This record gives sequence, structure tokens and C-alpha cells, in this order.
Amino acid sequence: MEGKEENASEAAPLKLLGSWASSYTHRVQLALRLKGLEFEYAEEDLANKSDELLRLNPVYKKVPVLVHGGRALPESVIILQYLDDAWPERRPLLPADAFDRALARFWCHFADDKLGPAVGAVFTSTGEEQEAAVRQVHENLALVEAELREGAFKGRRFFGGDEVGLLDVVLGCGSYWLAVFEEVTGVRLVDADAFPLFHAWLRDFEALDEVRETIPAVDRLLEYARGVRHMLLGLAGAGGAGGAGADAPSSTAADAPTASPPPAAATATAADIAVDI
Amino acid sequence: MAGQSGELKLLGMFASPFALRAKLALSFKGLSYEYLEEKDLQNNKSELLLKSNPVHKKVPVLIHNDKPVCESMIIVQYIEEAFASVGPSLLPSDPYERAVARFWAAYIDEKLFSSWMMVFRGKTDEEKAEGTKQSFAVAATLEGALAECSKGKPFFGGDSVGYVDVALGGFVAWVHAIEKLYGLKVFDAGKTPLLAAWLERFCALEAAKAVMPEVEKLVELAKMRQAQAAAAAAAAQGN
Repeated sequence: MEGKEENASEAAPLKLLGSWASSYTHRVQLALRLKGLEFEYAEEDLANKSDELLRLNPVYKKVPVLVHGGRALPESVIILQYLDDAWPERRPLLPADAFDRALARFWCHFADDKLGPAVGAVFTSTGEEQEAAVRQVHENLALVEAELREGAFKGRRFFGGDEVGLLDVVLGCGSYWLAVFEEVTGVRLVDADAFPLFHAWLRDFEALDEVRETIPAVDRLLEYARGVRHMLLGLAGAGGAGGAGADAPSSTAADAPTASPPPAAATATAADIAVDI
Repeated sequence: MAGQSGELKLLGMFASPFALRAKLALSFKGLSYEYLEEKDLQNNKSELLLKSNPVHKKVPVLIHNDKPVCESMIIVQYIEEAFASVGPSLLPSDPYERAVARFWAAYIDEKLFSSWMMVFRGKTDEEKAEGTKQSFAVAATLEGALAECSKGKPFFGGDSVGYVDVALGGFVAWVHAIEKLYGLKVFDAGKTPLLAAWLERFCALEAAKAVMPEVEKLVELAKMRQAQAAAAAAAAQGN
């Protein structure tokens, strides 16, 4: 066999380092499933990162990292494009047309640069700051809604067309946090009346088999989000609409449930998920 | 120009490193286009810009047969894909090497510009010092990236310029302007010899020289903006 050391062949094994609550990790898991690619999964404890992760992603030290034929690929959107480049015959995520590809990339960047951080800001703030963040989220969602209604994605079931593509994977893996954050913070983010097309798209996306296989159960996400928000706010019983609420004693983070990571790590963990939309 | 189909327009601004990236890519590919300068981005954006990039209202925007493409590195990838048969390829064909190129271009976007902004906009000496420290750290990382990507050849792209060269190349005029303004050598030959050599080589390329803005004009612009900011701060304090 020639040149087996030159490039990782399609047959070389795939390993994904990730975190169960990281939507960036979910993007890669979903893409691998959509393409029908087998992979080994290794869960990282983000409060105690493995030597392997630090070695494979020295620049950012983050998940996900995909290892293929011994070579490491970090950054979810870069990994997704790599999967298309390395397995062009398997269910491409990007469209064929150059202009459509540019559009998909543009909105992926929008999702990560604007929408995601705005949603994260809703989760990590309270009061006026939170109100401003919510307005930002609504403005951003309105832009996406407009593209679905009369713009680049008009008339489509998914952003990728009849089937999900890159932008569906990027936006979708993270949009499930909207409902979770709504529950935990008591703030309304995706109104089905205000954003009917986005709402319908998300419902269709979440109904797909590969997506249901990938996204954790909502109970686990809720529990996790509640824990992180609790830590961030340093309040006992801080919660959303369902919380016991009233007269919670003003406890500090030190009084938070046992076996939880210290606030700094919680903030880091929150950063890993909260901006993951 | 053989093989170029359709009409290309580029909306830009002479001092924008992001617009310069688009110009560099077009120049390296040998593509012709109509260039439209935004004369007053701060106060009076053109109709065409607002229509072509309604989401961000920023340059550069490449308009191909009346269809707009926004964001500098997305434009570069578009040029690469839409004009694949014209001029040299900017991205390698190997999937892993393509991923590495995208990674470093994204790193440059995330880290380089923001560290310089800290130096420019830092209000205190501490803030400026932190920006300087960070920009040296970023340069050190890019030095390693250059070694990894070039494998001893002149450019990130190897024998000829590629995606990362364009991504970094957008900033070279400002690298020279920063040295004039602050005496700060961002790619110091003592600290980052490969990058210092790359900088000289890149700036000597005919296709780069053809689109490079005048450093003096950038220095003038920076001084004017600093004066405006100082005046605004003084006015605010006076109230």
C-alpha cells in the first residue's frame, strides 16, 4: 500500500474528545452520525482537562478535538468542513454552489459571533443587563427569521434545503439551550408567534433521529444549567419560573451544593456552554 | 483575465485590513474588478453597502454578478471556489492542510487584531502594556505556525502565497504604521525571525505592492482618530 503515512486515509480511526454538555461537541457528533462515520468518544472533564487534550489543542485547550489518523483538528466549524473535504462522497454538509457556501459560512459565523454570545449573556446576567441581552437575542433571531421568510433560505424546510446542512448543524446544536435557558432564567427567548419559521425549523431539526441521538435529555441539560446559573449568581435557589424563589437566604457560592467546582471553573464551564449556541 | 466570468465589484476602505485581504486575494488570482471606496464609513455609509451587507454594514463586500459576499475570509474562500480555474489556488488540496490553514486564519482574526486594539485604544499605560504583551504572545504563536505551515519554504502556503498569507497579509500595512506610531515592532527580527523575513518577502511581491495602501496615510488616519478621541474625552469631562 502506498503513502500510508502521507495522509490519513478514509479508513483511519476517528476519535472525538468532547464534553457532554458542549454544543460545539454535539455539532461534531451529529455531523459524524449524519455522514455514517464510526468514531470513538472520550469525555473530557472541563474542570480538569486531560494531558491528551492539552497536547492536541495547545492553542485553545478546548473541546471538541477530532483526531484522525493521529492528527488533531480543533474548532467545530473547521472540523465540519474537514469532514466534507475528507469524505466528499458522504452526505456533504456544505452546498455545491460557491455562493450558497459563502452564505452558509456567513450565517455560521453570525451564529457563533453574535447570536451565541447574546444568548450566553442572557444566561449569565440579571436585571437590566439581562434585558439588554434579551433584546439583542431577539434582534439576532429576527435577522435569521427574515432570511427564512424572504431571504436566502426562503421556502426551505432546513437551512440546507430538504436535508440538514452545515448551518443546521451549527445553529441547531445550541438552539436547544434556548428552551433550557428560558426555563432556568424565566425569560422568553423564542416566541413561536414572533419567530414562527425559526420555531418550526427547530422543531423539525430536533425531531431527526440523528439529532435525538446526539442531544442530551432535557432533564440533564436543565439540571446542569440550573447548577451553573446558581453558581454564577451565588444565590441559593436561584431559578426560573419553576423555582421556589421567595426569601432565599443570601448564601454565597461557598454554600452551594457540595462537590461542585469553584466559581472560576464554573464560569469557565459556563463559558464553554453558554456561548455554545 | 481569461476564464473570468461575470462582473466583480469590491466595496472597501483604504485603511481596512479586511478589505485589503480581499484585494490581495483578487490580485494574487489575477482577477479584475471595479473598486469602490467607502469615503465615510463612520458617518455616511453608501447605499450600496447598506443594501449589500445589511446585517453588519461593514466592508469588505464582494459583489459578483450583483450577488454580495461578505466577510473577508469568506470572500477569499468564495474567490477560490468561484474562480477555481483562474490563477493559483490559495488553499491546499489536502483536507488536513486546509483545516490547518483555516485554523490559523481564524486565530489571526480572533487574537491579532484584538491585541493591537488594546494598544491603540488602551486608556491607561497598564492597558497598553497588556496589549503589547498580548501582541507579542500572539506573534510568538504565529512564528510557530509559520514554521509548521511553511516547512522551510517562503510562505505559509509554501512556495507561493496561500490562505494564511492573505489572512495575515491584510495587516502588513498596519504593522508598518504601528512601528511608525509607537516604535513597536510587531514582528521583531530578534523575537520572531521567520515572521520578520516573511513580512519583507510578502511586501516585495508585485501582486501585494499593487494593492498595498500607503503607510503614511494610515499613520495620518490613526493620528486623526486619536485626536478626535482625545477631543471627545476632553469635551465629556468638561460637561
